[in-house]
Amino acid sequence: MTNSKPLLIKLAIAFLIISFIGFLDATYLTVQHYRGLPPECSIIEGCEEVVASKYAVMFGVPVALLGGIYYLTIFILSIIYLDSKKENIIKLAALLTFAGLIASIWFIYLQLFVIKAICVYCMFSAATSITLFILGLHILKLNKNQENVTIKTNND
Amino acid sequence: MEEQVTKQEKRELRREEREKEGRSQKTKIFIRRLAMWSFVVFIVGGTIFGMVQLAGNPSSGQPALLLDAVSATDWLKGEKEAKTILVEYSDFQCPACANYYPVVKQLAQDFGDKLQIVYRHFPLRQIHKNADASAYAAEAAGKQGKFWEMHDMIFENQSEWANKYSVEEIFAQYAVSLGLNLEKFKSDFNSKEVKDKVENDYLSGIRSNVNATPTFFLNGKKILNPRSYDEFKTIINQAGDSVSNN
Repeated sequence: MTNSKPLLIKLAIAFLIISFIGFLDATYLTVQHYRGLPPECSIIEGCEEVVASKYAVMFGVPVALLGGIYYLTIFILSIIYLDSKKENIIKLAALLTFAGLIASIWFIYLQLFVIKAICVYCMFSAATSITLFILGLHILKLNKNQENVTIKTNND
Repeated sequence: MEEQVTKQEKRELRREEREKEGRSQKTKIFIRRLAMWSFVVFIVGGTIFGMVQLAGNPSSGQPALLLDAVSATDWLKGEKEAKTILVEYSDFQCPACANYYPVVKQLAQDFGDKLQIVYRHFPLRQIHKNADASAYAAEAAGKQGKFWEMHDMIFENQSEWANKYSVEEIFAQYAVSLGLNLEKFKSDFNSKEVKDKVENDYLSGIRSNVNATPTFFLNGKKILNPRSYDEFKTIINQAGDSVSNN
């Protein structure tokens, strides 16, 4: 059990950093959504079509805002875990990344096949979500191994 | 008896000390947590504030200047002698440019001979596959004196051709409906001269730090894209006043 602890802490720190980057990205998109996009097309962003599309809003809430809340939740859960070392907390964060993965796959699909335009900021967010999911899988695996070890020692 | 009292006292004292220690330990943890969460709130708040600043002023910094002056090869609208000059760098396939198209047209109507409007190509070929072809079509029509007619038609029907593959055929149809000589239009469309003209416009945009479309230069100075027709009109009026005052 003591062997996997430092690794779990490292994973939690990675969670913390990546969710914060995701939060920066989503906040930028949310602010742009509410302020109104700069009325222009540019090589770097290409976001006009994507962010202005009807898929950018879900039940009246911009998806960028939902993304921001999602990243902030992961960020805060990571801090709580690093502070309290309660493993259930980081497990909860790891489970949440499934939702992030599904949302990201949906948004990539929309950009490539439905809207047929790519927004770099949205693709970047998909990349952070997928990274969080992969890290989350490691956390869950680590957790499971630990449980097995505990059960074994209990049986012995 | 005395000894017992001291023992009891000692025990109580020790317990009190332990409690005190425990309490100060708890206070320490509490203060540490408070500091940590204040820091988190500060960072998150700072992030949101920073992003509002960043997204709010996209082109803060040095005002960009138009380096290539209006020349005989440019497409002009309005009065040649007008002192107020609006140069637009635009991409026919850019939705934002199509949104500005009626705005600029209205400006030309309202200002009449007080305003000179110049259209320059800035095809964003990296993201718009038909940007170049549409610019060639307008230039080819210009060879037969109908640049602005084709310009209007291309913008008005942007959604019809923007994502098509056989876009040359569509532009040929526009040429026919404008009464152009189709043979000449097609050969001009593919000519080096037309391609060079578009490329020169593009390069002049690069020289003036254009990186998005539409980009407007009013009397040689880049302006932030106005959010409404009235805002645009006000900016042009102000520029006109400062020109006539000098």
